[in-house]
Amino acid sequence: MSNVQISNVVKRYGAVQVMHGVSVDIEDGEFVVLVGPSGCGKSTLLRMLAGLEEVSGGTISIGGRVVNDVIPKDRDIAMVFQSYALYPHKTVYDNMGFPLKMAGRPKAEIDTKVRKAAEILDLTKYLDRYPKALSGGQRQRVAMGRAIVRDPQVFLFDEPLSNLDAKLRVTMRLEIKELHQRLKTTIVYVTHDQIEAMTMADKIVVMRDGRVEQIGAPLDLYDNPQNLFVAGFIGSPSMNFIHGRIILREGRKAFRSDGGLELPVPATAAADGQAVTLGIRPEHIRIGPGGIPVRVVVLEPTGSETQVFARSGGELIDAVVKDRIHARPGDEIGYHIDPERIHLFDRETERRI
Amino acid sequence: MQSRKLGWLLLAPTLIVLFLFGVVPFVYVVYVSFHDWNPFAANPDMVFSGANNFRRAVFDAGFLASLGVTVAFVFFAVLSELVIGYALAQAFMKDFPGKAFFRTIHTLPLIMAPIIVGSIWKLMTTPSIGIIPSLLDSWFGYDMNIGQSAATAFVITVIMDIWHWTPLVTLTLIAALVSLPPDPFEQAQIDGANKRQIFWHITLPMIAPAVVATVFIRLMDALRTVDEVLMLTGGGPGSATRYVGVHIFKEVFPRTNYGYGSAVSVIVLYLTIVVCWLLYVSMLAPRNSKKG
Ligand SMILES: Nc1ncnc2c1ncn2[C@@H]1O[C@H](COP(=O)(O)OP(=O)(O)O)[C@@H](O)[C@H]1O
Ligand SMILES: [Mg+2]
Repeated sequence: MSNVQISNVVKRYGAVQVMHGVSVDIEDGEFVVLVGPSGCGKSTLLRMLAGLEEVSGGTISIGGRVVNDVIPKDRDIAMVFQSYALYPHKTVYDNMGFPLKMAGRPKAEIDTKVRKAAEILDLTKYLDRYPKALSGGQRQRVAMGRAIVRDPQVFLFDEPLSNLDAKLRVTMRLEIKELHQRLKTTIVYVTHDQIEAMTMADKIVVMRDGRVEQIGAPLDLYDNPQNLFVAGFIGSPSMNFIHGRIILREGRKAFRSDGGLELPVPATAAADGQAVTLGIRPEHIRIGPGGIPVRVVVLEPTGSETQVFARSGGELIDAVVKDRIHARPGDEIGYHIDPERIHLFDRETERRI
Repeated sequence: MQSRKLGWLLLAPTLIVLFLFGVVPFVYVVYVSFHDWNPFAANPDMVFSGANNFRRAVFDAGFLASLGVTVAFVFFAVLSELVIGYALAQAFMKDFPGKAFFRTIHTLPLIMAPIIVGSIWKLMTTPSIGIIPSLLDSWFGYDMNIGQSAATAFVITVIMDIWHWTPLVTLTLIAALVSLPPDPFEQAQIDGANKRQIFWHITLPMIAPAVVATVFIRLMDALRTVDEVLMLTGGGPGSATRYVGVHIFKEVFPRTNYGYGSAVSVIVLYLTIVVCWLLYVSMLAPRNSKKG
């Protein structure tokens, strides 16, 4: 069993507390992504899992064993650093074989495992090379190879793709996911890129300022963000937010923005007069005749879709549409918003209503 | 081609100085080594003598003995300096109160002229005056006399060299350690290496270029140690501390035997180059020669 339990973990650097009681349950074989803006404590949490950073409070257990005081080498984990941390003076072969050599495995076994991993990662040609003679993507794969030869209980990845160019990032994303499907080892993966999180994770942990904001499956977070932060962080382009309050219109609750824009809302627990923030994703707005009249400000076509920025009653609302649209800046068009797609958050607590 | 000419023009002063003060004296020493030359004798002319000086050196028991003690001296001194220097460098990598102060203090020996170092150590080790024999006598009842015991004299010259030059090693190794990236070390911990394995597999190979450079410098310096030892022991007792530098000095100056002295210098230079080359090949070359 290699489930990982993080309970109430606290981290302090001297007097500064950077992690405030983080709890995450990770099941055996799960692909968990820690995501959040830079500085939110993802790396720190991962390094505590690895044993590189002391835990100031709470417990971390791997496979049912509390590992707070266990040194990294005895935790049976493998880690891939953002910098790849290859040994510059060792060949690809020796880099990949190093953990096995340290574990005192026989030469023949090391050879078999390294060659097998090299084959999986398409590195066989480069086994005799030194890291400095490899491209970024190849180095990245060597770092992964060094992790997989060990067959650890848990893989830890700290932003492994952020030093690669966009195209390679997409390829490597696939490769890592495929690797996970093949090996079925628990993976904890850190990234600041919500697209990486959405595409790779079984479970996403959204963090901010040393706290967990929400844990859930990617689509779960997308459909039911529990607070304003998660709503804004997950999804691209990000959700439109409009401030306003709940009013009564013909006996039914509706939303009226501070700028005077009125929208029907789904059945909601929000009270009449409550100050709320309404969220609607750009891809959930349709454009067509009728609807809410808005004035086009900017159009950003990317070929496959077009992002429309339009203004209504002081609010700038963007929409993403698949069809080509022939409006020009200054034209008036109509937005259609399905009330069922609307998210409502309390303006005070920023929590979902 | 204008820029090319200008380049040479700008380099010219350096090249001229290098040529005058580097190449010319060297060629001159090689030239002298093939002659009999005693400028203060009745016949002050240089007389070409072929490889005679070299033949003489190779069969000269005094020179060979001096080479032997030199090798021992250099080996023990440089090895100790490396080990102690590394330990100090590691200590200075950590934070402790007064670190900046100690780091400054510990480099003081470096700025002392060798002749001063020799005099200080002579003062400290002279029987019945020096503090070292006096302490050894009162604590252990050990009678230390560097004028009589060959072994003691040898050990003291080694210690003096360590005292004088370890700070240099410490400084270069601190520079090397500071510039190391932290990630491979954390990676090695995760990969299951213990402290000792991290040292041998990660730290040492990564600072190897600095270590080799330091060893080169110390090796070359130690091989031509003259003034400190001359001051401390005068090469004695007997020829226990008559290291090649001292040997050449004693050969050339009292006897004004320039040809022979030059030949010995050339041999020592040759041996130094061979040793450094071997070191380079064994420690650094494998990494640079493989494809990559
Ligand atoms: N060694 C340290 N000393 C003090 N503060 C630190 C240290 N390492 C990280 N921090 C702080 O901890 C917080 C989380 O950092 P980190 O885990 O690296 O963020 P992330 O990986 O999510 O970008 C940051 O505010 C950072 O300034
Ligand atoms: Mg980070």
